[in-house]
Amino acid sequence: MKISLAWLRDHLEGDTTADELARRLTAVGMNVELREEAGADETWDVDITSNRPDAMNHRGLAREAAAAGCGRLRALDVRLQEGATAAGELARIEVLDPQGCPRYCARVIRGVRVAPSPAWLAERLAACGVRPINNVVDATNYVLLDVGHPLHAFDLRFLAGSLVRVRTASAGERLTTLDGVERQLLPSDVVIADAEKAVALAGIMGGADSEIRSDTTDVLLESAYFDPASVRRTARRLGLATEASHRFERGADRAMARQAVDLAAELIVRLAGGEVAAGVLDSAPGLPPARRIVLDRAKLCAFAGCEIPPSFVFSVLAALGCDPRDAGDEMTCTVPSWRVDLELAEDLYEEVLRHWGYDRVPSTLPQVVVRPGARLGSWPVTDQARDALVHTGLAEAVTYAFITAELDAATAGSPLVDRGEPVLLSNPLSARMAVMRRSILGGLAEAAAGNLRRGADSVLLGEVGRVFFGAGGRPREEERLAVVMGGRRGGWDRRAETDFLDLKGTLEAILEALGIEDASWRPADLPVLAAGTGAAIFAGEACVGVAGRLAEPVAALVDCPQPLWVAEIDLGRAARRGVPAVRPLPRFPAVVADLTVRHARSVTYAELVAAVRAAGPEWLEAVQPVVQFEGAGVAAGEVKTTLRLVYRLAERSLTQDEVNAAHFALMEELARRLPVSFQ
Amino acid sequence: MAIELLQQARQEFEAALAAAGSDAGRIEEVRVRFAGRRSGLLRDLEERLKTLPREEKPAYGKALNEFKRLVEERLGAAAEAATRAAAAVRLDVTLPGRRPPVGALHPVTLVRREIEEIFLRMGYSVADGPEVEDDWHNFEALNMPPDHPARDAQDTFYLPGGWLLRTHTSPVQIRTMESQKPPIRVIIPGRVYRRDSDLRHSPMFHQVEGLVVDENVTFGHLKATLEAFVHVLFDPSLEVRFRPSFFPFTEPSAEVDITCVLCLGRGCAMCSGSGWIEILGAGMVDPRVFRACGLDPARYTGFAFGCGLDRVAVLKYRLPDLRLLFSGDERFLRQLGTGVTA
Repeated sequence: MKISLAWLRDHLEGDTTADELARRLTAVGMNVELREEAGADETWDVDITSNRPDAMNHRGLAREAAAAGCGRLRALDVRLQEGATAAGELARIEVLDPQGCPRYCARVIRGVRVAPSPAWLAERLAACGVRPINNVVDATNYVLLDVGHPLHAFDLRFLAGSLVRVRTASAGERLTTLDGVERQLLPSDVVIADAEKAVALAGIMGGADSEIRSDTTDVLLESAYFDPASVRRTARRLGLATEASHRFERGADRAMARQAVDLAAELIVRLAGGEVAAGVLDSAPGLPPARRIVLDRAKLCAFAGCEIPPSFVFSVLAALGCDPRDAGDEMTCTVPSWRVDLELAEDLYEEVLRHWGYDRVPSTLPQVVVRPGARLGSWPVTDQARDALVHTGLAEAVTYAFITAELDAATAGSPLVDRGEPVLLSNPLSARMAVMRRSILGGLAEAAAGNLRRGADSVLLGEVGRVFFGAGGRPREEERLAVVMGGRRGGWDRRAETDFLDLKGTLEAILEALGIEDASWRPADLPVLAAGTGAAIFAGEACVGVAGRLAEPVAALVDCPQPLWVAEIDLGRAARRGVPAVRPLPRFPAVVADLTVRHARSVTYAELVAAVRAAGPEWLEAVQPVVQFEGAGVAAGEVKTTLRLVYRLAERSLTQDEVNAAHFALMEELARRLPVSFQ
Repeated sequence: MAIELLQQARQEFEAALAAAGSDAGRIEEVRVRFAGRRSGLLRDLEERLKTLPREEKPAYGKALNEFKRLVEERLGAAAEAATRAAAAVRLDVTLPGRRPPVGALHPVTLVRREIEEIFLRMGYSVADGPEVEDDWHNFEALNMPPDHPARDAQDTFYLPGGWLLRTHTSPVQIRTMESQKPPIRVIIPGRVYRRDSDLRHSPMFHQVEGLVVDENVTFGHLKATLEAFVHVLFDPSLEVRFRPSFFPFTEPSAEVDITCVLCLGRGCAMCSGSGWIEILGAGMVDPRVFRACGLDPARYTGFAFGCGLDRVAVLKYRLPDLRLLFSGDERFLRQLGTGVTA
């Protein structure tokens, strides 16, 4: 909020310097963020928190300054001269919705001459960011900025029946507000009406029909107190935020409604002439009983963790208008009508502490019995997954959890995604962020494409994060890991295009780190992956992941110039890895024999190895790939696979004769099991 | 004396061989000169043996044999070394190596783990909670009833059915207090969402919050805990300042500033010339929040604090632009590697 320093000083006795005022206000939580010279004056930008509508004006800030030791708050001085005619003879008020409008005060002023405001007033308003309009309207705005109470001036001519009726809007009712916009009203809106129609949106904005004009002579001046929640609902719905609504929705001062109308009437007569009719029209002159809070000083000190002298507590609460009464160790305070935020003893602790100074409270580390802390929930697994990513050389990325509807649809063709409906945001920022992702692949592929378009020779990205599924009730969240690889791999002098085995090797290492050791890879035709490249990864009979080359339509959607190899893993199946037991090292040497097999391409490597293992003795320790070859010398549709067979007995050395016999037996048995031939 | 001749010959041989270095041609010259069949010096010295008086022969003969063995050995070794030297091609050791891919954690992960470690050491646990929340946990239990103006500050993404994306990690405070009796010491890192996007705001970002609930927890404890935290995370020499502020779920509330890490308090663009940088929001848990969670505010007090992980990353790693964090740009992501733990 912008304020004028000279105006602030109008409310303060004492000669505190500007620097000291700014420093003290900031120290008690009224943060002076910006100071600008404005002629002989200074304009300050003060950040006032939303719980302190009482301080969103010059007098309220002056009260804080006084409590913070910067002089004394001057008494409010109202010298209003009333005419002979009673206001009640000129206008009537009727509050039909006392819940929406607990108090409505009005005065009538006749015979004003509407004109531009004098320079001093126009300058003060302008310094605070309010555009001067005319002397009558400016007077209401001045009082708003002076003591914080919003007012509204009606041209009495245009109030049918000289009546002000505060009621809820009727169905289908419309009102053109001061800004020239016709508003459709709802029965939940509180309006100011005359005998016939709505003339203002209560606490938010006046109507165009009854505004002050250059030829206005008779004015009805409104100073009311409106229900905060009701003002807020209407203002939010209509997208209207005004100086008035800002204050009413945070809580105005019900007692000030009465004083403000006098202050404004006096100022209008001073600026525009005319006569104030006798008396105030007031729908509810009485005030609800003030809240009382008992402050236990010992508890205050225990809460703060330090001693604060009773005299200090007393003087701060007194300066803030809380009327503290001492009674032994306790102090009874009466909450002033302007402090909507004070309810509990803790609220008073805050008042005392912020004026005492947070920096004066000594820092003491708590003395506690410490139990070892632990990572809970999904943190152990997701962090293990992040470590697995970086251990395989990937860079961890973080992409947005919301994506376009197109990208969601394009990446839906996967067993990890068709587990629920997409969750659409009700109020997305843009179409680019419209749907909660069901797969990380789309966003991560987009990031990878960006790298390749920037000219990167290779891209190696991974991400761990949540995906979201519509599930009737609360949307379901699941943890995922995704990998994207593309471009060229290997040392600078041995570059090779990334292919499926690069992706698979990375995934194998990650799956092992995640404790998914029994993973099996099965060919799968999935729309998200290019035809003939897709694999579904199973742990037991559950599909835990997909891997392959990103399908063309998705690549086109993320504008990717090169093939991308992608994989996504469901971390729901991952377990935090236990401590593995070390296997003893072999005591006897292995005998190694290579075996080259010619077979149809339709026989997969997994089938071949399974058959070799089945055909071999129990002491066939390992079967490893050496080379796979097709082309010259091999018939079309066939491949030549060389395997390395590792034979070993745990308890003694093997003889060459034993191994030879076993190896030939294995070959014979293998040829019976699979249509293969040997070199 | 003949023996002296041998000694002289030996000195000549060693000097000649040393001068030849690893040059195969010059080594051959040395061989011809000393061990050549026709005119080598050794041959001359053997001839001389015949002319010696009988009593000198044994000593001379022994010394001569030693010298012959030495010449053979040395010449052989020198020739071998020369062959090796001729065969070796000098490596260009300045060529770049073939690097295995080295992974890198995201800066937010690095910062989060560093903060987690600090609090784990102080006996806190690291809690977790849903990113899709209900109104109760995200707002109402945190003393933000419907139509409360404080909701304005947290522009919320809504989902069908009244669900919303959590605007802060505070709902996990509520979930913790609903499910657990004090003493409570947790921190809650996580992803949060606000409907806001510009140079300094991302619609998705990260926070970490802390919550301590016990009997006799004081405002002084809050101060000391956050000072210890900031000093470990940044630098023990930084000053920490607590300013009164407002959050609906704490009373009193504070904003916590530290000496600007960039200019060390002299004033710069990062701190708008003030020398201070706001880093945390904090306060004593509001009794209304305790009541909403079924805890007795007459018995328990507590404090809570929170800060933006992305902002800490920006400060700690001097990021020029918050949006880099969500760019997926590998040139950026690979700069910090797997981090350095304090």
